[in-house]
Amino acid sequence: MKTSVTLLAAAFSLAATVAAQAQDCTAKVGAMGPMSGGAAQWGLAMAGAAELAAAEVNATGGVTINGKKCKIVVVSYDSKYTADGAAAGANALASEGIKIIIGPVGSPEATGIKPVAARNEQLTWNAAYAKNALEAKYPLVFHIAPGPGTWSDAMVKHALKHFPQIKSVALVAPNDQGGTDIASVDAVAYRNNGVKATEEYYQRGTTNFAPIITRLLATNPDAVDTASSPPGDAGVIVKQLRLAGFKGPIGRMGGPGTEEILRVSGGMDVLKDFYWFETVAVTDQMREIDNIYRKLLGKEPVGGTALWGNLPAARMTMKAIVNAGTVEDAAKVAAELRKLPVEDPNMGKGLWAGQKQYGINQELFFAFGVGIIKDGKEVGIARIEPTN
Amino acid sequence: MEQFLQAAVIGISLGAQYALLALGFTLIFGILGVVNFAHGGFYMIGGYVAYSCVGLLGLPYPLAVLIAVAATAALGWVFELFLLERLIDDHLATLMLTLGLYLIVSNGLLRVFGPLSMEFSFPVSGSIQFGPIYVPRENLIVLGICLSAILALWLVLFRTDLGRALRALADDRQVAMAQGMRPKLLFPAAFALATGLAGLTGALVTPILALSPGVGDPVLATSFLTVILGGLGSLGGAALAAFIVGIVEAYSSVYFGGSIGALVLFTLVLLLLVFRPTGLLGREIRGA
Repeated sequence: MKTSVTLLAAAFSLAATVAAQAQDCTAKVGAMGPMSGGAAQWGLAMAGAAELAAAEVNATGGVTINGKKCKIVVVSYDSKYTADGAAAGANALASEGIKIIIGPVGSPEATGIKPVAARNEQLTWNAAYAKNALEAKYPLVFHIAPGPGTWSDAMVKHALKHFPQIKSVALVAPNDQGGTDIASVDAVAYRNNGVKATEEYYQRGTTNFAPIITRLLATNPDAVDTASSPPGDAGVIVKQLRLAGFKGPIGRMGGPGTEEILRVSGGMDVLKDFYWFETVAVTDQMREIDNIYRKLLGKEPVGGTALWGNLPAARMTMKAIVNAGTVEDAAKVAAELRKLPVEDPNMGKGLWAGQKQYGINQELFFAFGVGIIKDGKEVGIARIEPTN
Repeated sequence: MEQFLQAAVIGISLGAQYALLALGFTLIFGILGVVNFAHGGFYMIGGYVAYSCVGLLGLPYPLAVLIAVAATAALGWVFELFLLERLIDDHLATLMLTLGLYLIVSNGLLRVFGPLSMEFSFPVSGSIQFGPIYVPRENLIVLGICLSAILALWLVLFRTDLGRALRALADDRQVAMAQGMRPKLLFPAAFALATGLAGLTGALVTPILALSPGVGDPVLATSFLTVILGGLGSLGGAALAAFIVGIVEAYSSVYFGGSIGALVLFTLVLLLLVFRPTGLLGREIRGA
């Protein structure tokens, strides 16, 4: 009897230990981006994509690392859309042993994180539209979506179909790399399509754009393009443009954020005529992502289409982690990632791209969209297929 | 010419907003000797209280503004009385306390309201057109309220016993105390007056621009710049400097662009401080 009790106790103890080990085994992955300030929507969309992809893996039992089933835990870092914020974030995540980072978002962040992450041997993604978003000398950096060099020409052509009156445009963006790298490329696309383009840059952190708007309206543009201005800034710019009597179309050939722009500017009646680059060509399958998010994470998704656009990168990273069986060896995860076809259950099929522009084929390229609002009514989002 | 006039309108409008902020900031320094790093936090609270009253409780906007002023003044009074007062003569400690309060406020608002901008618009919209010049109606209303508030503050400080007592404390605390002035009553009142002004500005300006956690950062920078230009502790200097900053910002941004405009402003302040370290109307030594 005593032996049986001892054996039973030992069995319970063993089972409890195994369960505890399974519970204790966590695999940490980082998520990074601006999670406060005017660009917060983009950073939260990045973190949301990472959390959703991790939750999907966890729902199937987690990832097997050294023979143990581990739960993936996402550690978020607010890099504040700055180079130093992203560099500090890479070190902060490295101090927790995190080698895989979904993020950061913007060009200053991408520039700041690259050398630090390379030193820490961390795999990073970025959604920057910088001219150097990818570089062959940083093989552990991946790119979530192409920059304006790839899509701005198609975007301008589509916008001109809806707003043929545009013969001149004034582009307004922050005066750092997150603004200049995008607005200057957008300006070339406008010029190539016969539209006279001027560029106007402002100090990031500007809250009142009235003087800048006075300056750019002095050139009598037919349209104003807010390029990659953070959505919060772009909303104020739209509001103040309309108050200054500007009646022409307003464009946005930069990052996503139409919902935030609508909220800050005062709605469709204020926005009136608007065209924007949408990182994803919205379908019902993509809208389904929000339902999956609510079901798995029990909260409302933040970030709109930016979350959907980031999700394939996060999902593919999780798949690569599962295939590599590690979160500590970034080079091994990167090797598995490169082997994966570019496809996503909600986004469909895409391409690996980047060789032509950056000299390294580590960019995801899915179909993208061009959204149009005319006379305060949404006309729809046109789908443009990816080509290499 | 159109640009010149439009820049003047923008500059005066900006100047009035900056004056409200800077007067509160310099009032606290002049009377308490405290550099209030939480000033931007009270601006944000003013905005969020007004937003909550209008957006969540359905109150009319003018009432929401009054509630925002009362709430920020009350919060300032409590903060001064229970925290700042204990360390009022330790400049480093008060600096850290106010900085800490700002971090608590901005992170608290982030937790409660989330990081995205609120849907908060001024109840009056549209512009009045004078030939080629557009003046947004909301800016005119805010300008009127700001100028009225500045006048009211002047009357309080220069035409009431409370104002005389506060100015006496600012001039020479020891002598004022010997005359029967009681800092333990007057310091919280001065702090509340200043934070109420910040709250008023937040409630008025955030629906015109944007309301999100973090909008207090540039407020602190502008207030600091303005009071240094005007002379730390000088009320007249702060008001004068606020309009100079607003007008220089408007003209430099209109004529040189958003990047160089900011540079012009800071260069001007730097030059002024080289030739007049006490600012426009500042004194060499604080009496308090």
